[in-house]
Amino acid sequence: MANSQRVLSLYDLPLWDSMERQKMALPRCSHCERFRYPPGPICAECSSMDYEWTEISGEGTILSWVVFHRQYFEDYPQPYNVIAVRLAEGPIVVSNLVGEEPQGSWIDRPVSITYRRHLDRTQHAFKLKAADTNS
Amino acid sequence: MRLAGMAAKTASVIGIGQTDWPADHARVRAGQKPHDSYGYAAEAFVAALADAGISRADVDGLIVGPTVAYERVGELLGLDVRWGGQADAMLAVLEACMAINAGQAEVVALIYGNDQRSAAVNYGGADAQGGSAFLSYIYHAPWGFTSQGALYALMARRYMQERGMSEAELAEVAVAQRLAASRNPQALMRKPITVEDYLASPYICEPLHLFDYCLINDGGVALIIAEASKAKRIGRAPVPIHGIGRYDLNTGATSLEPRLTDFYQPAQQAVGEQVFSMASLGPSDMDALQIYDSFSLHIPLALEGYGYCKTGEAGKFMREHGISLARGLPVNTGGGHLSESYMQGWNHQIEAVRQVRGEAGERQVPECRHVHYSSDVAGKAVSIIYGQ
Ligand SMILES: [Zn+2]
Repeated sequence: MANSQRVLSLYDLPLWDSMERQKMALPRCSHCERFRYPPGPICAECSSMDYEWTEISGEGTILSWVVFHRQYFEDYPQPYNVIAVRLAEGPIVVSNLVGEEPQGSWIDRPVSITYRRHLDRTQHAFKLKAADTNS
Repeated sequence: MRLAGMAAKTASVIGIGQTDWPADHARVRAGQKPHDSYGYAAEAFVAALADAGISRADVDGLIVGPTVAYERVGELLGLDVRWGGQADAMLAVLEACMAINAGQAEVVALIYGNDQRSAAVNYGGADAQGGSAFLSYIYHAPWGFTSQGALYALMARRYMQERGMSEAELAEVAVAQRLAASRNPQALMRKPITVEDYLASPYICEPLHLFDYCLINDGGVALIIAEASKAKRIGRAPVPIHGIGRYDLNTGATSLEPRLTDFYQPAQQAVGEQVFSMASLGPSDMDALQIYDSFSLHIPLALEGYGYCKTGEAGKFMREHGISLARGLPVNTGGGHLSESYMQGWNHQIEAVRQVRGEAGERQVPECRHVHYSSDVAGKAVSIIYGQ
């Protein structure tokens, strides 16, 4: 069994650099302001190829979650969670919930970004927003 | 939108063939290797030719599945042809129909072989299959997110809350298909299960249980599809293809947008318009469904997507109306990928043909006139209607 690996296309490299600095950024279309995830060379909305790397707010809500009960990677012993987060900027990212876990459904819970060191990389994770933890 | 690019019943299935799935599975589990993918493909092709009652010289088109090389299959089988290609099960049928409609071929052999079990192919982890075609299969690995099952588990969790479906309702899929498999001598998993068995089974990627996942086994499948008038002249029991349709959701695919927001429904609705219009038939005309079931979730998605029940009522439909050979609308009458054989959609095609021919033995659906095949792999929706 091997460790999990990143997909590192030309457009992914600045994303991982931004997470290393704990200021996650995504390409934002210069024409229609749509954010691209995964990062890519063109806007799927307006076909503009112009963009700027823009730091995201780190705010979002949980769209869905799963718990793995089988191990697939050396660096991910089971059980562990994976969440899909709808970022305030629009895109959905797949990540992990760290810290306190909600009682009942996780869906629609507000979360905010944090960063964690994993293997040789720094990557995003999310934690429940403080106001929500006791609700 | 122009709905149908070709007339209904332009092409007919005249031959089907398969390898002996349970026998080969037993041998593989005993540490043997009966064939590689090419051997399984060859065995299935020979069986399909014999079933059709035609000779190899009648074949003038060849399309092979994704796990074998086109030229090598043609070379092994001695098939020099005037039209060819490579595709998955559903697109192979669509492309064969289109080639026939365009006059590029008259008799097309569709051939699949896969040694995925004996070759220890992985669908999750660091060497997960499919990443070169579907970036979502590998892109989220840094967060431990891998395997196609996990993609459907994430979708299932949201679907269950948004649309209202319980684990016990989803269990109806595995239970119904196991009942079908219990009546199918070519199914790998034939011991009936109950909803309680399902609920007691372990989670793999929660909320999906072991019984929500497809099998992994070796085998082959082949079909012979011929132009309709030629099919009548040379075929033993031609089964016409009444409709085909396709719609692909690509936008946002890697960030899982089509999965998590609309559960692929817009694609299925678009395909439904095409395929039912071409066939001049509707959901109420279908006597059985074959639904690509790498995971059980595909079934409620298709039931809602094609209008077999109202949006938000698939769980209730499965529980109250039923989707088995015992009651309601029979789905995956051979046992499907969950209980019969994981032939990546190819076994569903030959099961549809058998049901329309009336050759399905103990699992025959009475007076089976039309069968709807549907798949929605990674948001690429495809439908085929087979009928008398
Ligand atoms: Zn744009």
